[in-house]
Amino acid sequence: MQPTNNGTERFTGHGSEWRDSNLNSGDAQMATAWVEQRIDKRSMLTNKDRVQDVREIMWQLEKEGEIIVHRINDEHDPVMAKTLYGWDKKIPTNQLWHHKSCGQCGNIPGYPASLLWMMNQFGTKYLDETDQTSCTAWNYHGSGIGNVESLAAVMLRNFHQAYVSAKAEGKPEGYYYPLVHCGTSFGNYKEVRGYLLTSATLRERVKTILGKLGRLVDGKLLIPEEIVHYSEWVHVMRRKIAERQIIDASQIRATIHNACHVYKMIPQDVIYDDEVLEGDRVAVSTGIIQSLGAQIIDYSTWYDCCGFGFRHIISEREFTRSFAIDRKLKIAVEEANADMMIGHDTGCITTLDKNQWIAKADGNNYEMPILADIQFAALVCGAHPYKIVQSHWHASPVEKLYDKLKIDWRAKKTEFEDYLKQIEAGGTREMLYDPRRAITGGPGYNKTQALAAEAFVPTAI
Amino acid sequence: MHHSSRVQKQIGDPVSDTPILPRAKLQEIFDDIQNDMRFDHELNGCLNCGICTATCPAAHYYDFSPREIVQLLWTENLEAIYDAMQEKIWACAQCMTCAARCPFGNSPGGLIMIMREAAIKHNMESAKNVLRPFSRVMLKLISTGNQLSPDMINPDHFADWGPNISKVHAPLALLRKAIPMATLNTVKTAWEVNLKTSVELYTIWAETGVLNQLETIDENLFDVISDIMDEKRDDWSDFLDDQDD
Repeated sequence: MQPTNNGTERFTGHGSEWRDSNLNSGDAQMATAWVEQRIDKRSMLTNKDRVQDVREIMWQLEKEGEIIVHRINDEHDPVMAKTLYGWDKKIPTNQLWHHKSCGQCGNIPGYPASLLWMMNQFGTKYLDETDQTSCTAWNYHGSGIGNVESLAAVMLRNFHQAYVSAKAEGKPEGYYYPLVHCGTSFGNYKEVRGYLLTSATLRERVKTILGKLGRLVDGKLLIPEEIVHYSEWVHVMRRKIAERQIIDASQIRATIHNACHVYKMIPQDVIYDDEVLEGDRVAVSTGIIQSLGAQIIDYSTWYDCCGFGFRHIISEREFTRSFAIDRKLKIAVEEANADMMIGHDTGCITTLDKNQWIAKADGNNYEMPILADIQFAALVCGAHPYKIVQSHWHASPVEKLYDKLKIDWRAKKTEFEDYLKQIEAGGTREMLYDPRRAITGGPGYNKTQALAAEAFVPTAI
Repeated sequence: MHHSSRVQKQIGDPVSDTPILPRAKLQEIFDDIQNDMRFDHELNGCLNCGICTATCPAAHYYDFSPREIVQLLWTENLEAIYDAMQEKIWACAQCMTCAARCPFGNSPGGLIMIMREAAIKHNMESAKNVLRPFSRVMLKLISTGNQLSPDMINPDHFADWGPNISKVHAPLALLRKAIPMATLNTVKTAWEVNLKTSVELYTIWAETGVLNQLETIDENLFDVISDIMDEKRDDWSDFLDDQDD
């Protein structure tokens, strides 16, 4: 117990010989900075010796004839990246099957549209089709409705469809490789992959289900060689993307919000790159924004989640908005003096974008443009802010960012409003791919049309 | 003792000698948690260091601590586990920061999911109460395979998101039509879901016990979803019959 200046007592937890150092804030920062420098990455590295690379089990199971691995071949133009422990991860860059995110498509449609637009710039072959469900993990994490078996069966069903999808276009199995858009799908699939590879019981149970669905390959479960998030595609393509940049971003102060389910779930499978923040933080998103010449601004709550909470954003929103405002938005505005916050996941972008206005009820006005990395990349490469980036779905003040980038958003918005009138009158729609390719089976599928649709030239948007 | 509050009705009187539930029932609940194939993967030991709670977003705002949850399971404190399953386990935001930081490689967030599943399986009133406002999402997800749809994002449901949910004023269907991806020109689902896909998903739900979970937690919702599933299965049969013809 120590006496204090005002005569009261306080518990200190240390002996009477202890004295305040009385360092000024600058000296205090210097005295403890080394701890922060070391703790960021090292704290996650401590378990390295106890972490198994489940891909080794995967290859062994294939060798034993129990599963089939959907390989990333030369035709997928792979680029190698390094993960947390220095392991290799193969990232396919071509012939991709878009595994969409329900939250992105439902609420931030410019997120996937920007990705497809960017792929069109490179002539990347891809398929965006209707035969897929979400991973169902948002609901599972929010409600507990679901279980490891249902999550595994959903994952394997979707990945099987990716494997066979090209047959609808007269191409071989395995032609398209799945690219996962959602951070939660990415984390959840990797977690479930681990359970599947290490549990013969789970494999047996889901094999029965997949068999009933006709979703086995030669009577075996199909597992992709790597589970790949779209941000990893963006990361390995970042220099090529930067070559296409037409809008200067050097005056933009950018904060990055990394998504928990992208880098805290199965952290050993996440890309770290010595060129990005000295390899101490997850490389995706920061890497592309750095390559585009914006200023990366560090901030004290970089490690915090956004407050999404799965069920919380729907039915306990006091928590979600309080955490988003107090721990992220306020810091980005007051501490980092940022022009924008960039994310790479559905829930984070939604949470941070939508929970700003309500802060006014508390007398605060935190205005922070929120975009996904690929939306910003598309924007500075010349994508239309409304037709492609679809920023009218964003509640946060992206127009402030447009002004700083010298994008005449008012003119672009008028163009878009005119375009809406044109569509309403039955005029031609501008599409990123031939819509006929979206149906690969069941009602509405026509093989002749699907084959013809490949020749489609996307409208110049 | 008179049970005056909602919490007391669920967990009983904390100072009473009378057990909250018969010991055998508490044991049954714990056995279900412990027998989950993930349990030993998620719980390896605990020295009470508290790193998990220090980095936990929910611990900022709720009477919740992942360290406490791990300790209760580690020490097999059956009464307190049952108590924590009433409200505390529902505070977790599932960010998994705790799992990334734990020096023992525990996953408190993963353990919470096992406990949530057990709360549903044992028909706990608290789970029903917590999930009632989430039923709209469950309806959408289980019947369509999409968690969120454009028509769910409207000012009536999200008044606190302010006036800028859409900055271009036009009917929702028209705005959706202006998205340059054919799969996204939808209003009631995030993307157009193939009929075949939905029917396959229903098989997964049935085979993995998800429909049983749903029936336990909300019988009315289960009935509504069953009707939707029957209708789509009929449509799929009709389609297959047409193909045969």
